[in-house]
Formats: sequence, C-alpha cells, structure tokens
Amino acid sequence: MAILKADSLRKQYTLGGHTVNALDGVDFAVEQGAFIAIMGPSGSGKSTLLHLLGGLDHPSDGEVTLAGQALSILDDTQATLVRRHNVGFIFQFFNLLPTLSAEENITLPLIIDGRNPRQQQTHIDALLALVGLVDRRHHKPDQLSGGEQQRVAIARALVTEPAIVLADEPTGNLDSKTGTAIMELLRRSCDELGQTIIVVTHDPKAAAYADRIVFLRDGLVSRELAFERDGDRGTRLMAIIQTMERLEN
Amino acid sequence: MPSKSTHTAPDSQPSEAVRSAGRRHTPTVNARMFGATIKLAIRSLLARPLRTILTGLGVVLGVAVILAIIVTNASTLDAVTRVFTEASGKAHLAVVNANTKDLGFSEAVLRQVRAAPDVQAAVPVLQGQAVLASDSPDAEVGLSIAGFGRGGLLLLGIDPVADTLAREYKVVDGAFLSLDDGAYEIMLVKNYADEQDVRVGNEIDLITGADRARLRVVGLISKEGPGLLNNGALGVIPLKTAQDLFARNGDVDQIDVIAVPGSSQGRALESLKAALQTRLGSRYSVIYPATQGERVAQMLAGYQMGLGMFSAIAIFVGAFLIYNAFSMTVVERTREIGMLRTLGMTRRQVISQILVEAGMLGMIGALFGLAAGIGLAGGLIRLMALFLAQEVRRIQIPTSGLVISFVIGLVVTLAAAAVPAFQASRVSPLEALRVRGRSRAGWFARHGWTVGVALIVFGLLLVVVRLPPPLGDHTQDAAVMALLLGAAFIVPKALTAWERAVRPIIRRLYGDEGALGSRNIQRALLRTALTVSALMIGVAMILSIRAVTDAFALDIRTWIERYIGGDVWVSSTVNLRSDLARRLNGVEGVAEVASVRYLDVKRILPEGTHESLSLMAIDPIAYTRVTSFVFTSGQGNPERMVSRLAGGEAIFISSVLAEKNKLKRGDTLRLLTRRGQHDFEIAGVVVDFYNQGRVLHMGANDLRRYYGVNDASTFLIKVQRGQSPAEVQERIDRLYGRSYHLTVESNQEIRERAMRLIGQTSSMFDVLALIAMIVAALGVVNTLTMNVVERTREIGMLRSLGMTRRQVAKMILAEAGMMGVGGGVLGIAVGLLMAQTVIGSMNTMAGFSMRYVISPQGIIVGFVVAVVVSQLAALWPARRAAQLRVIEAIQFE
Repeated sequence: MAILKADSLRKQYTLGGHTVNALDGVDFAVEQGAFIAIMGPSGSGKSTLLHLLGGLDHPSDGEVTLAGQALSILDDTQATLVRRHNVGFIFQFFNLLPTLSAEENITLPLIIDGRNPRQQQTHIDALLALVGLVDRRHHKPDQLSGGEQQRVAIARALVTEPAIVLADEPTGNLDSKTGTAIMELLRRSCDELGQTIIVVTHDPKAAAYADRIVFLRDGLVSRELAFERDGDRGTRLMAIIQTMERLEN
Repeated sequence: MPSKSTHTAPDSQPSEAVRSAGRRHTPTVNARMFGATIKLAIRSLLARPLRTILTGLGVVLGVAVILAIIVTNASTLDAVTRVFTEASGKAHLAVVNANTKDLGFSEAVLRQVRAAPDVQAAVPVLQGQAVLASDSPDAEVGLSIAGFGRGGLLLLGIDPVADTLAREYKVVDGAFLSLDDGAYEIMLVKNYADEQDVRVGNEIDLITGADRARLRVVGLISKEGPGLLNNGALGVIPLKTAQDLFARNGDVDQIDVIAVPGSSQGRALESLKAALQTRLGSRYSVIYPATQGERVAQMLAGYQMGLGMFSAIAIFVGAFLIYNAFSMTVVERTREIGMLRTLGMTRRQVISQILVEAGMLGMIGALFGLAAGIGLAGGLIRLMALFLAQEVRRIQIPTSGLVISFVIGLVVTLAAAAVPAFQASRVSPLEALRVRGRSRAGWFARHGWTVGVALIVFGLLLVVVRLPPPLGDHTQDAAVMALLLGAAFIVPKALTAWERAVRPIIRRLYGDEGALGSRNIQRALLRTALTVSALMIGVAMILSIRAVTDAFALDIRTWIERYIGGDVWVSSTVNLRSDLARRLNGVEGVAEVASVRYLDVKRILPEGTHESLSLMAIDPIAYTRVTSFVFTSGQGNPERMVSRLAGGEAIFISSVLAEKNKLKRGDTLRLLTRRGQHDFEIAGVVVDFYNQGRVLHMGANDLRRYYGVNDASTFLIKVQRGQSPAEVQERIDRLYGRSYHLTVESNQEIRERAMRLIGQTSSMFDVLALIAMIVAALGVVNTLTMNVVERTREIGMLRSLGMTRRQVAKMILAEAGMMGVGGGVLGIAVGLLMAQTVIGSMNTMAGFSMRYVISPQGIIVGFVVAVVVSQLAALWPARRAAQLRVIEAIQFE
C-alpha cells in the first residue's frame, strides 16, 4: 500500500513576468518502508517536489496524498498538524536550535506537540543509541561536529515515528566519510525501524543507499531505477552513474 | 637566519601602487566617492523604511525632550522675571526696605536718591492689597508651588507725573490719571475690568483691610508692561490716595531709579548701584529690578534640576535604541558588507558608510526632534504655569538650546553607531559570504558586570559621602547615573541566571513554545540586554517619580495637618485686623482661634550679606491650643520651648534652616528689624516646609515690637467637640464672610487641593517617564524584529517540524515577555534604589525630611507597564515571524 502518492503534480512560479514550470506533471507513489532517492540536475524540481510531498507548499495542480490524507484541501494549520505527526525533515544545514542540548533538540517535535518527552524516555534513549550520541546527549550544537549535528537532526526526524522522513541533501554539507556514516544511519533506520525515507541528493554515492532512484529533469520524471533490497552497493553506484551520463547526453 | 629583505619575495607584498591606492586620491575622486557613499546611505535607509523610522524616532524623542525642557525652563523663568522687569519698565535700579519688603520706608529717601549723582529720575511706588467690594470672596485659597498665593486686586500707588518716566502704561480706554495726586481715581487693566464688568466712568468700592473707599475708574490699560503684575488684577492709583487708603502717610515701598544715559548699563550701573547703597545705608537695599523674581527662580531651580536629570536619562535610553538599530543593520547586511569588501571596499570605507547613514538619520531625526520639542514644551509650559500660578505667554526658544539639542542628538547618534560601524568593518569578506553574521557575546556581555558592580557601589557611596558644594550639587545626578549605568552593565550576566529561574513561569504562561522563546533570551545577549536595560530605565523612572511624589505628598499632608492645624482655615486677600479673632471666637461652635501673620524678613548672615526668609508670627499659647508644633527630637521639654518663645526675643527655626546653617537650640540668629539688626535666641527647631523650609516662627508680641505689624493673614480655628466643621465654616462665612471679605475653607478641602496640585506636578515627570517607556518599546520592536530576521531559517525549520503560526507567535511573545519581566523586576530594584537616593539627597541638600515610602502602587504600575509594553511591542515582530513562508524561510540564508 502506498503511504505517499503524488498525482500529476504541477508547480508553476512566476519569475520576473515569466511563468516557470518547476514541476510539470509528476506521478509518484511510495510504499511503506521504502528508501527512495530523488536525483537530478539543479533546477530539475527536486526540492520543489520534496516541499510538496512534505506539505510545505501547495501544488498549482495535482494532489499529494500522505497517509491517506489529501494535502491540497488543508489550510495552513491543518497542514502543519499533518506535518507534525507524519513527516520528519532533515536539512542540509542541520538547523538545530543552538540554545538546546542534543537530547532537547531531538525531543523538539514532541515539545511542539505539547507532549512530555520524559514519558518517552526509553524511546529517546533508543534513538540516541541508534545515532550513537548517548555520551553527547547534553552537548549543545556548537560543541558537536557537523556529522554529530546531522545525527541529532536524524534522531529528531525519527522521534515522532513519522509516516515518512524527507531529507534534503543530508550529506551536502559534510565530508565524504561523515556523509557515508549518515547515509548508513538512514539505511539502518529503514532496515531496522521500517522507516520510509525519501532523500534528495546530487551525490550518486549517497543515492546508492536507496532501493529506488527517481531521476527528474525539467520538472518531469525522466527515468527510474529499482534495486533488490540486499543488492550490492557498488553495482548500484555503477548503474546510477551510467544512468546519469545517459541522461546528460 | 635570512634578513627580512632577502626573505621577502618581491610578489608577496603589495606594490606601492596598490598600497597607496586606498589613500591618495585627487579631490575629484574623493568628492565622487563621497557622493557615492551618500547615495548608498540614502538607499540603505530607504530600503528599510520601518527600521529607519523606528531609529529616527529614538533620535526625535531624545532631542524633543532635551529641547522641551530647555524651552520650558527658559520660558517660565522669563515669564517670572518679565513681570518684575516690565513692571519696573525703564528703571535701572530699585530701592527697597532692606529688612522687609512689606514695610516700606519714608518718602524722604526720595530726595536723597534724586540728589545722588548720575540719577536722572527717581520714581516712588506704594503697593497694597485690596478687593473689589462687588467681587465675591474667593471660594478657595490659591495654592501653588510658591505656597499660598493671594488673589485680590493689587493697588499700585504712583506719582502720576513722574511715573511715566519709568513705566509705559498703554491706555486703551479713557484717560491716564489726572495730575492731582490725591484724587480718588483708578486705572484698571482692561481684561480684569471686563471680567468684573467695570467700565470707564464707573465708581468702584474697594476694601482695604477693614476700610472701604470709593474710586472713579478713569482709564483702562492693556495687560502688558506694568499691567502684567499680579496676573493683571491691578489697579493704578495716585500715590497720595494709596497712602490714604492704607493709612501709610509719607510711606513708599519702592523707589525706581533711572540712571543718566552714561551710567545706565554695565560697570557704570554697577558703580552707581554701589554708590547709592553707600549713600542710603544698610536700612535700604539697592537692587536690579529683575532680581525680585529671584525667589521664584530659586524655587524653580530644584524643579529644573529634576527635569534636567530626566532629559539626560531620556537621551541615554535613546542612545540604546540607536545603537541597537545600527547593530541590527550591520548584522542584517553582513553579506552585503562582505560583498562590498570582496569588491575592494576598505575597512575605513565601511566605517564611513555606516557613520554617514547615522549622520544623515541623526540630522533628520534631530530636526524633527526640534519641532517635536517645541510642541512638547507647549504642554510642559502649561503645566508649569499652573504650579506657578503665573501665566506664561511667550515661549522662549533660546538659540543655544536649539543648537545644544541638535548637536546632542547628532553626536549621540554617531557615537551609538560607532560601535556597530567598527564591528561592520571587522567583517571579513569570506566570513560574510559564508554564514550570516552573528552578534558575538563580547567583553561587555562576559565581564561587563564587574564594571556594573563597581558603578553601583560608587553610586551608593555618592549617596552616603557628600562632596563639597561645587561638586556636591551634582552628586545626586551622578549617583543616579552611576546606578542606572551600573545596572545596565549587570544585565547581560544577570539575564542568563534570571532566565533559568523564570522559565517555569513562562512555560506555564506561554506553553512549551514559550519556554523555547524564553531560552532565546540567551542569544544575541548584548542586544537583548540593551533592550532589557531600556525597559529597566523606563520602569525605574516611573517608580522613582512615583516614590518621590508619594514622599512629597506625605510630607505635604503632615505639614498641612500640623500647620494648617485646627479644622477651619480663614484667610483673606487683604490683611485682617487681629481683633477679628475675638469675633471669630464668639461664633457658635468655635473652640479656639489662633491668628497667623506671614511676613518676608531678612536674616543677616555671619559674612554680612543677607537672605530672605519667611516669618510666621503666632501667639504661641493660642497656637498650641489649636494645633501643635512639631519639634525635632532630642531638644527637651516642648512646653518649656513654647513658653520661651512666648517670653519674647526668641524664635523657632525650621529643621531645614538648622541643618543648612548648623544651628541648634540656644544659638542666636540675627534679623534685620525696624529697629535695626537684632539677635534672637533660637528656642527650638521645628519641622516646617513653608517656603521650602526657609521659615522662622516668632511670637506676635515680638512681631509688633520689631516689625510694627499688628494684623493677621490667616486664622486657624478649632471647632468644639461634637460640632461639624462644615457648619462652623458656614456660620463664619455667613456672619463675616462678606464684610471682611473672607475665604473660609475646611482643612479637608485644602488638603485635597494640595494633593491634586502635587498630582499635577508629578504629571510633568510622568510625561518624561512615558517617553522613556516609548523609546524602550521601540527598542523591543527593533530587537525582536532583528531576532526574527536572524532566525528566519530556524523558524522555517520549526514550522516544518509542525509548529503552527500561533505557536511561533507565542514563542516570540514569550521572548518579549521575558524581556518585559526582566526589565520590570530590575527596574523596580533600581527604581527603589534611585528613589531612595533622590529622596536622601533632597533631604540632605535641601533640608527636607521626606520619608521614603515604598509605593506598592508604583511597583505594580511599573511592572505592569513593562510587561504590557513588551507584549504590545512584540505583536508586530511576532506577526512577522508567524507569517514567514516556510519554504522561503528554510532556504533563507
């Protein structure tokens, strides 16, 4: 069953008097527990698609259905509540609150929802263990490395056990070694927790952690790749690079 | 080790051409660059219109307050002295009785004055109080900061021939007095005549003391020059007639002297004054006409000092706002500045860019401030006129005042922008292009508190240790400033601890998102601290003004209760014969009557000069039956002191005089009397604030003997047990009100009116506190807007995590609430200290004995105002934050 569905999604912007079609009719469905990467050159509509899927923006046409709920009919507050309960976001620049400790940052979505984090302490401890930050739970963001900060962000995205986690270039601001560790962590979340994940990325190495790759070009899905769940990562990477080269020509 | 010259590769150092490029420009290039700087500055000011307006408002308000206070002070002082100078007209000097102005002297002196060299003319004047018989007595006693005013009609007896040499009467109807100097003729001021419905040719009945006389109105004069005296309630009559009416044959009160042209000013006039003084001897004083306004001017001095201090505080708060706004501009434009730096703008150019913006804003703001200041002065002058019971008709705008306030506005703006300008110049091109600028917690935030503690200790020391006179006069200002600055320095350090303590309350009020907002206080610490400080100063002002006002009110109440003792107060615009006391005693329900006579006297100081004091003459025994003296402690048996006073050759002095002159019981004090200089024994020290404490008490017998005065100004009446004061008051009014032209009032009424007057007095200071609060509110708006702009991406993240717009708004409001509560609590602490300091130094400097009462009302008002202001000011930034579009926000850099 599809946890997330996009039907003929269109998004138009007016820019300096010209209409730009950021998305030009995208159909797209995500099964529960899937790990998907969205790739494409700059301006292909990757981020726009991610924003529409996460209910941050309204499509000009078409519909996004998240966990059985059509998003286009919701007002701002309703969309916010859907986001709060069903979507976890991970950003390129981590976006942690500098005044809160690592653990407090992780519990932020609970706090926003008016829940008492203490009642979910075991869950939080488990998440801290998953991202390997048990020892650094009381550190403030400026005392953490970039990789550690991104791990906090991942735990924060997972804390509400959302229907879907959306990650926008999660390795974009990290060195390749740390980037690999982050992608492995996301992979583990998918494998061990059954978390559905969509990652937008430029980086074929990061994309190789996904089971399905959606290539966008000029606002349209130009190609899709699907891999066996336990397939070899090297083979995947080769396939992705080949597809990218083919699409560029 | 290679030498420097060999080590340096030729291309690793800038060529001479490159190095000099930043410095050596032709004048044309310089002009072009300056033009470009101006253009950029204008654009940048216009690009953020709201910020520009907010910052500009800070300058406008600061400058307006300074100018308004200068103008108010100049105008009221001018109005007060103008009455005396215009009334003396062209006279260069005046001769008055040296011991008391009320008593006058013999006409014979006139010849002596006229015979003196360099005197062109000498013109006699006799003054007296009267009332129009047709005019009903005043319903209430006139109160002003000068004490109890006397209404009624002032009669000016003049020499119809000679007087026009000294004064210009503008006759608008009828004619000038005839040359017959014994004629029963009068000229009235037109406004007054119109009020009383009197026309030229009418005959009017005047009551002077217990006598009546009928005079014919021959002319009406305009309300200018001498017509300004007594606020226009003036009648001009021939000198002989005046002497008749007041039974003072051969007496004059004043001789106005006109010098020959060569001696009419500067040093020549000074030596004429000295020569005349020597010629006439010590029984007469030769004075400049304007100095007669001095007593009022002296009374105003304390008031003006207070106003001046508050204007300094206003500009202080304004400087906060400007600093805040400019550091905000710098933070917001870090990228822009970085970009300009990559394009080759030097650090100096960056600094001058910011300073040019500040300068332009400062100039425009200061210009608007001047206009607003004149407007504000209009309101303050009206209030001031009310307390002075003196019309202020002309607004005096001293050029120096305009220049001073403009320059202060501009300089403060530039100084406040200097730090942000310097910070901007330190932005490195790379840093600016990579990340958004952050305001770092610098030295001030980390170590400022040590300076703060030192300043507060210094401020408190100033209160305890009094400096010698020239410095001592400003001790109070310095102490208050030190306390305020000290508190401001402590704020950043205090804020962090404070936030932790109060967070649970904020969480309860605003929810969990409120707690997030509360924690944000710790970020941009300097900016937040400045805003909290501004709020703190506003609250401290509200509180200390309230406390001082309350202390004054309490003081006045005690004074009124004791010295307007008894139940009913009887007075008149003319002096009353003392036998009226016997008649009043016969009125049903009256238990006791005590008569009081106030008189201006001169005290001879040890160094030979003299000072004016008020003398309150009473029959000590009768007085103690109606009310009681309040003796300062440690003087022994009160009854013995009272009987010593009744025994004669003795006086009581006020605690103010005792403190100022280091006098105590048993010492003597020398007064100028009708019989020459005489020493009186100080029989006791009492608490009395009449004429700001410059007051003596004397027995009625001594008054008769040494001053030849036998009438009364006022009667204090105690009613019999079980009698209603209101009924007794009514009875007296019915029996004698009309015939003696009495004003009969109950103490209750007077007390209430005095309280109202105090309330009005404080409203002037309240206006200034309000302005400080407005400036602080602008600071809150600025700071929060800046925070929102800086945290745009963070807010976007929170929104993406599921924070609703409402929650975002609550988070910002909580942050503001935290500032408000912080500013409020600190303001209360500082305000209480400040109030104690001000009251303490007023007590020691002016000899008041005001008690410091913590005003719960002031505390509540101050706190509530701080919180409400913070919330109102946060509405706009909160709205702005809530309406951020999530996608734009998360992409915002």
